[in-house]
Amino acid sequence: MAASIATPKLTATFSAAPSLQTLRRKLSTPLSRSLSLLPPSAPRTLDLDLGLRSPTKPRPRRRRLSVEAAEPDNGAETARHYDFDLFTVGAGSGGVRASRFAANFGASVAVCELPFSTISSETAGGVGGTCVLRGCVPKKLLVYASKYSHEFDESHGFGWTYDAEPRHDWSTLMANKNAELQRLMGIYKNILRNAGVTLIEGRGKIVDPHTIDVDGKLYSARHILVSVGGRPFIPEIPGKEYAIDSDAALDLPSKPEKVAIIGGGYIALEFAGIFNGLSSDVHVFIRQKKVLRGFDEEVRDFVAEQMSLRGIEFHTEESPQAIQKLPDGSLSLKTNKGTIEGFSHIMFATGRRPNTKNLGLETVGVKMTKNGAIEVDEFSRTSVPSIWAVGDVTDRINLTPVALMEGGALAKTIFFNEPTKPDYRAVPSAVFSQPPIGQVGLTEEQAIQEYGDVDIFTANFRPLKATLSGLPDRVFMKFIVCAKTNRVLGLHMCGEDSPETVQGFAVAVKAGLTKADFDATVGIHPTSAEEFVTMRTPTRKIRRGPSSEGKKDSDAKAAAGV
Amino acid sequence: MARKMLIHGELDGAGVHYDFDLFVIGAGSGGVRAARFSANYGAKVGICELPFNPISSEVVGGVGGTCVLRGCVPKKILVYGAAFGGELEDARNYGWELNEKVDFNWKKLLHKKTEEITRLNGIYKRLLSNAGVKLFEGEGKLVGPNEVEVTQLDGTKLCYSAKHILIATGSRAQRPNIPGQELGITSDEALSLEDLPKRAVVLGGGYIAVEFASIWRGMGATVDMFFRKELPLRGFDDEMRAVVARNLEGRGINLHPRTNLTELIKTEDGIKVITDHGEELHADLVLFATGRIPNTKRLNLASVGVETDALGAVKVDDNSRTNVPSIWAVGDVTNRMNLTPVALMEGTCFAKTVFGGQPTKPDYINVPCAVFCIPPLSVVGLSEEQAVEQANGDVLVFTSTFNPMKNTVSGRQEKTAMKLVVDAETDKVLGASMCGPDAPEIMQGIGVALKCGATKAQFDSTVGIHPSAAEEFVTMRSTTRRVSAKPKTNL
Repeated sequence: MAASIATPKLTATFSAAPSLQTLRRKLSTPLSRSLSLLPPSAPRTLDLDLGLRSPTKPRPRRRRLSVEAAEPDNGAETARHYDFDLFTVGAGSGGVRASRFAANFGASVAVCELPFSTISSETAGGVGGTCVLRGCVPKKLLVYASKYSHEFDESHGFGWTYDAEPRHDWSTLMANKNAELQRLMGIYKNILRNAGVTLIEGRGKIVDPHTIDVDGKLYSARHILVSVGGRPFIPEIPGKEYAIDSDAALDLPSKPEKVAIIGGGYIALEFAGIFNGLSSDVHVFIRQKKVLRGFDEEVRDFVAEQMSLRGIEFHTEESPQAIQKLPDGSLSLKTNKGTIEGFSHIMFATGRRPNTKNLGLETVGVKMTKNGAIEVDEFSRTSVPSIWAVGDVTDRINLTPVALMEGGALAKTIFFNEPTKPDYRAVPSAVFSQPPIGQVGLTEEQAIQEYGDVDIFTANFRPLKATLSGLPDRVFMKFIVCAKTNRVLGLHMCGEDSPETVQGFAVAVKAGLTKADFDATVGIHPTSAEEFVTMRTPTRKIRRGPSSEGKKDSDAKAAAGV
Repeated sequence: MARKMLIHGELDGAGVHYDFDLFVIGAGSGGVRAARFSANYGAKVGICELPFNPISSEVVGGVGGTCVLRGCVPKKILVYGAAFGGELEDARNYGWELNEKVDFNWKKLLHKKTEEITRLNGIYKRLLSNAGVKLFEGEGKLVGPNEVEVTQLDGTKLCYSAKHILIATGSRAQRPNIPGQELGITSDEALSLEDLPKRAVVLGGGYIAVEFASIWRGMGATVDMFFRKELPLRGFDDEMRAVVARNLEGRGINLHPRTNLTELIKTEDGIKVITDHGEELHADLVLFATGRIPNTKRLNLASVGVETDALGAVKVDDNSRTNVPSIWAVGDVTNRMNLTPVALMEGTCFAKTVFGGQPTKPDYINVPCAVFCIPPLSVVGLSEEQAVEQANGDVLVFTSTFNPMKNTVSGRQEKTAMKLVVDAETDKVLGASMCGPDAPEIMQGIGVALKCGATKAQFDSTVGIHPSAAEEFVTMRSTTRRVSAKPKTNL
């Protein structure tokens, strides 16, 4: 049976194998649980149909087999013995996914990861990686916590009153958040163990194209995967040692009273919302005129306005030059426009850099960009054929689900004999600002550049909840449609529930559906999302050339969309 | 927007003069939509509606109809209000210190709700006048195939001829025939209660029943639900029905399946409720959520020869036309699929067909819908049971039940459940359902995908939005079970 790995299209061999029953039992491990936050409690009934799957959709399956027998790709090296088929450096989203799937395809896999710490460094990290420990998950938990203050405000309009204004206890939140992170880290370790992946704690360094050094111990591997992720970057300015980055901001010992956030990207906006919701005085300093460079212009304007209305102060075209610590312990921030004093915290959200230092990449000849990102081909292969890289370390699209896609594709490519390119078209994403943003496809600006003639549909309305709460909350929605083909090129939303709302539409956009397809869908009433299937009149039609006919969209969203 | 191009005194082929091209009876979702769109196509349109009152009867109603005044909108407002109850509980583990004494002021919410529906009532009237539709206040009935009579508030009667008449009078809650039924209320009154009940009894297991149970429970009341079947929400996916039942119980609602009420008796401090199991319960309020019936009684349909079914629903063809060629009907009064957006679709199709020169049939395939219990349920397409029944080949079922991220810290013991039902042969997704926070917002986009025949592979090829609950819909890789169309194997 082991020999069959040489032709890894296993389906036929497999379903005929006598050990089917045993395998089925082994396979009851949750294989498909995405590396995302979803906890393990979900029942996963698997493999009732082992022999029935179509060969185009291979089921990840796990086999222990001798490495010698598993020699599919580089014919020249058939003779050599390796400790592992795959050695993964970095157990974050991409690394864990690739390792698990590779193991399920029958490879022997090891993964190394730094010891756990909420704050990452050259010597600390933790199984789960950025997403679970220093990114998506803790961030979203803090977003949940901070959103309550807005909900308390809303609830007044719905008849709720409180004897005393609700107060927030920072340490309870941090303790409960950290308990959850510990739990998730345990889950990740279990996931790896259950998949038969060897987990090694320590700092991995590449010695040669087939050798990794983990704190002095050497391991050989047929393939090496670098998935060490990225880390926050703070520019060199005087006093930068007083500043914090997002790692620290997620695990502060006490609530910041007055915080300066430097940067206008998604991390800056998310933290601005978090601190604002937990009643800090929040100032955001952005180098440009607008937040969220790269996002749709109208969304950029809308989100900044909504956040301002919730009390966040934006300082545009204002760049930090120095930080000073005053005798009373407070920080002052000097910018190109003056000095602002009295900050308890100054946070930099000025981008992230790939963690490629001291990995030994230069010595083995792995090419990197100026930014330090590993250069890879469409299959995530580096300039050294036995070395691969996925996730933020390659600085392609730095999102957890993209790293998962890259990791899954890589495992298929190397160990399932099914070369698979990650597909970067119509990748949806979200910003968990308050209000949040969800988007998929092109911005208006990108669409015009690529397609010339586009029709723009927008809706800007006061949601039902806000009419009762009396708060100035609004929702903005936007379609970008190719004038020639009627295909939806981009879809954007800013307002409550945007990230949840956009996921389903992303399936439609990815499938290449037209505006007419959206219009043919009946709304779910009363929701905000139904607006996406009831936008009948283009707000403007943009035609190549200077002339574009403009028309203001109706502002009022009548309750039944009549 | 309206072309305001009223065609005065249009003559039909025979040279007959009509006061209106279209006269609509009932200004709810379907009627208003049909009236406006017809006017936009250039038709001269009149519409009549009963005077405004949040509680409907044979003689009161209001522009906006059930959805705006006595259904979707006020219901959702109360659901929002009630949902804060759970939110306040959840906030504590996120570090929020709330006084033990958190007050909920029902009167304030009710007042604001009434303000809002009154505002919407005004918006609807404006929508009509902006479209050039002439609105009459009063009770409309048929006099002939091309003639309507409107009885105004002061009793005076107006009579108009119209080339086409559209019946869009909607439906009303019905009461069960049990002793003491006059002590119970319907959803109309439930949306306009003077006081919040401390002990509420709900009879019925449909969407209205679970929604009001959730509303009152969220506001702190003791709620007992009685229904005939084993699970609430007959017609929905069985697995999802079980999830809803579990969640309702988890939120503290007492479920009494397979139980009916036999009698209500007035007592000093409320109502004594007797069940067919011989139990007795004391309540402040009993809600009958036992179905709705079309509003056709006083329309004079029989004398004009318009056919209705046993329930009283106006019978129509695929184009919403009754057996009398000049008379049409849309919305709940036809009892096809009783949802606001469906009435809107029917109204639009009617206007296109009759005045737009494009015969258009409403399309009832893959209509998504939502139940706003707490947490909500939303579905599109077929349930597993329907899929197995209708599919030609095997059906693949993908399910996911998980603890939503918010609950990991809040400690709330409530799982979100999702399900995709897929045709094994074609890979087409036949149905999707979800019960959990934000389900209705999430399902709308999934609805677009299903409407266009998306395959499971297309779902799988979509990258997730992380961290969201919705991403689970594009990451369900392993089949939970495979169900044979003809039950020969038991895999």
